[in-house]
Amino acid sequence: MRKNTCMGIVFPNAHDELMGEMTEKRSMGSLPFCGRYRVIDFALSNLVNAGISKVGIISRSNYQSLMDHIGTGKAWDLDRKSGGLYFLSPYSNNEAKLFVGHIDALFGAMDFLKKSVEQYVVMCDADVITNIDLSKMIDRHIESGADITIAYNKGAMPANHHDVMNFNLDGDKITSIDFAAFNKADCNVSLDITILSRELLIDIVNEGHSHNYTSLTREILNPNIDKYDIRGYEITQYAVIMDSPETYVKATQDVVNNPEVRRQLFCKKHPVFTKTRDDMPTVYGLDSEVTNCIIADGCVIEGTVKNSVLFRGVKVGKGTVIKDSIIMQDAVIGDNVDLQCVTLDKKVKVNTGKTLRGTSTYPIYVRKNAIV
Amino acid sequence: MKKKECVAMLLAGGQGSRLGVLTQMIAKPAVPYGGKYRIIDFPLSNCTNSGIDTVGVLTQYQPLELNDYIGSGKPWDLDRSDGGVHILPPYQNNKGGDWYKGTANAIYQNIPFIQRYDPDYVLILSGDHIYKMDYSEMIEQHKSSGADCTIAVLEVPMEEASRFGIMNANPDGTIYEFEEKPKEPKSNLASMGIYVFSWDKLKKYLEEDEADPNSSNDFGKNIIPNMLNDNQKMVVYRFADYWKDVGTIDSLWEANLDLLNPKVELDLSDPKWRIYSRTPNAPPQYIADTAKVQNSLITEGCDISGTVDFSILFESVTIEEGAIVKDSLIMPGATIKKNASVQYAIIAENSVIDEGASVGERPEDVADLSKWGVSVVGAGLHIGKNAKVSAGIMIRENVKEGDQQ
Repeated sequence: MRKNTCMGIVFPNAHDELMGEMTEKRSMGSLPFCGRYRVIDFALSNLVNAGISKVGIISRSNYQSLMDHIGTGKAWDLDRKSGGLYFLSPYSNNEAKLFVGHIDALFGAMDFLKKSVEQYVVMCDADVITNIDLSKMIDRHIESGADITIAYNKGAMPANHHDVMNFNLDGDKITSIDFAAFNKADCNVSLDITILSRELLIDIVNEGHSHNYTSLTREILNPNIDKYDIRGYEITQYAVIMDSPETYVKATQDVVNNPEVRRQLFCKKHPVFTKTRDDMPTVYGLDSEVTNCIIADGCVIEGTVKNSVLFRGVKVGKGTVIKDSIIMQDAVIGDNVDLQCVTLDKKVKVNTGKTLRGTSTYPIYVRKNAIV
Repeated sequence: MKKKECVAMLLAGGQGSRLGVLTQMIAKPAVPYGGKYRIIDFPLSNCTNSGIDTVGVLTQYQPLELNDYIGSGKPWDLDRSDGGVHILPPYQNNKGGDWYKGTANAIYQNIPFIQRYDPDYVLILSGDHIYKMDYSEMIEQHKSSGADCTIAVLEVPMEEASRFGIMNANPDGTIYEFEEKPKEPKSNLASMGIYVFSWDKLKKYLEEDEADPNSSNDFGKNIIPNMLNDNQKMVVYRFADYWKDVGTIDSLWEANLDLLNPKVELDLSDPKWRIYSRTPNAPPQYIADTAKVQNSLITEGCDISGTVDFSILFESVTIEEGAIVKDSLIMPGATIKKNASVQYAIIAENSVIDEGASVGERPEDVADLSKWGVSVVGAGLHIGKNAKVSAGIMIRENVKEGDQQ
């Protein structure tokens, strides 16, 4: 139990550009994931499950689908009289330009930061899939007396991401930061979950903005590594940074194939919340054959589905075979269709008898509303 | 308080004693249905979809779960600043207080609630039925016919008519006689327990009924016959879609499995008439490599590694490898362990059927078919390893390892 001493800030547009067509009309945060979630659900649920009841979402662009998903914040219990959800759009005043990095983004939200009373701020990029007990990290930050604490996990650096930090550590103290250590194994990979006091954040942002800085990590943290006490906090749970459509497919397969990943992501003690849709339960037809699949509600399955994820409201016709694929919300797959290693975005229609096959190294992506 | 044209009053206080162990801890309207619903979702969703935004829910028997489920009314869009859903338990006033003595008395005790909205019409509903109905059409007919009371009726097969309250009506729909479970029915128009009253008339009859010490304060036994005797204009509203009373184990089981019958006209996926429910937050369902799922309804949170055929699985059910579930309802949170078998059974919430145990039997496998029935395991119980529960048995306590029931 902790008083409401923390607030959260989420950046839903974190590295949108890395996902190509998938984020053409949506933000990274509103990218659908694993049958019924959006990527931002993980960051929001982590914050809420740590007892945080005030969260600002600093959006940059393509945020229509995100606003539709978040609504009043009810699904995360963030429709509060006191605190709750703050949707902070760009162009907060007449002079504001569209922000580039976290510094100018936070500068645009300065009023929100200043009028808040919480002592600490937890900042999350919405491109990380992980379900962690953030309250332990907050406790550690407070106990350690550090200025800034940043979560990391051990592993290889994301291959396509230019801005990920690799920490060199002395104990838990971060002594230096490398950027984009491509393909290097055994790194301490930053998950961009950052805790610091609200006052320090206001100072950093004001100072950074006065120098026309935009990047919090490159222009503030890295040059000031000796000035501030910056510590790492190791996350041992499953965590993946979305840095490419291939990573998206791989993360999905991790959830389908690995019971331990499912156990960690869908932990009952701190569940992942999302907007619900009042679909009826999924109907498994007379000749359906479904094995090793994650299936959301509202589907009607009359064919064969293997090693795949079906989002809400997907229809699978008779004689159809779907393997190693991701089928997003409300897709309609006709009879005798053959799909393998494909990712179908929302509301795709695949007509009867069609075949579409990618490979595990080159999955095919079909854009929203397309008709095959 | 703003005036409302129509206020709905939902009678949800009944025990539903014929559901036995399933309503031991919860009121009948809170009984789970169809994988992710509860019976009360149907009248509440019908209200919202019909444009009725003020609903009183009268509770009395085991209200904890029902109160919790309805909450602020948010899932049905009934959390309104003006109107919305209100839970109305019996209460005390300066003259003392009473339990709800009957359906009419329950409404009588809540006359002040209804008066606040100064309605023209009051819709009386019950929480016992599975159906989708546009109440606004019924109210329109009530208005245009100039009736004092409109009663929804369903044509039932003549041979079954003696199980229902039968309305004998003229060709223009006006009712001249009401017979409760007649031995020799004159018509096959069964009352669905859905009434629209003009509020001033209903209020008068409720007050007169309350003043009558010999009355059993019941709509079917007192209010409707009294109005008929006084030659009030009472008209039937004919309903022809799916409607099922889920008052017994058999009918509850059937009404659930109706969802798997393509010939049954009950579509819960119609976006124009959604049935809303309070959705628990659970991950998507996982169907493992070893699973065989056919002809079934499965919902979020389920983890399936066994065989499931012609069954309804509710939220967060686990079916382990080698387990077989056929022709059954497995309610939220229940676990069917390895190599256990569940056939023609209802397993209530959070119960565990341990390894190798078997619950229920197929009618084909029973020597004396007259003794066959759906087996029921109550909520939160444990059926021990290799134990056996025969057909038609209702389990109220834990069953030890290897026991036969």
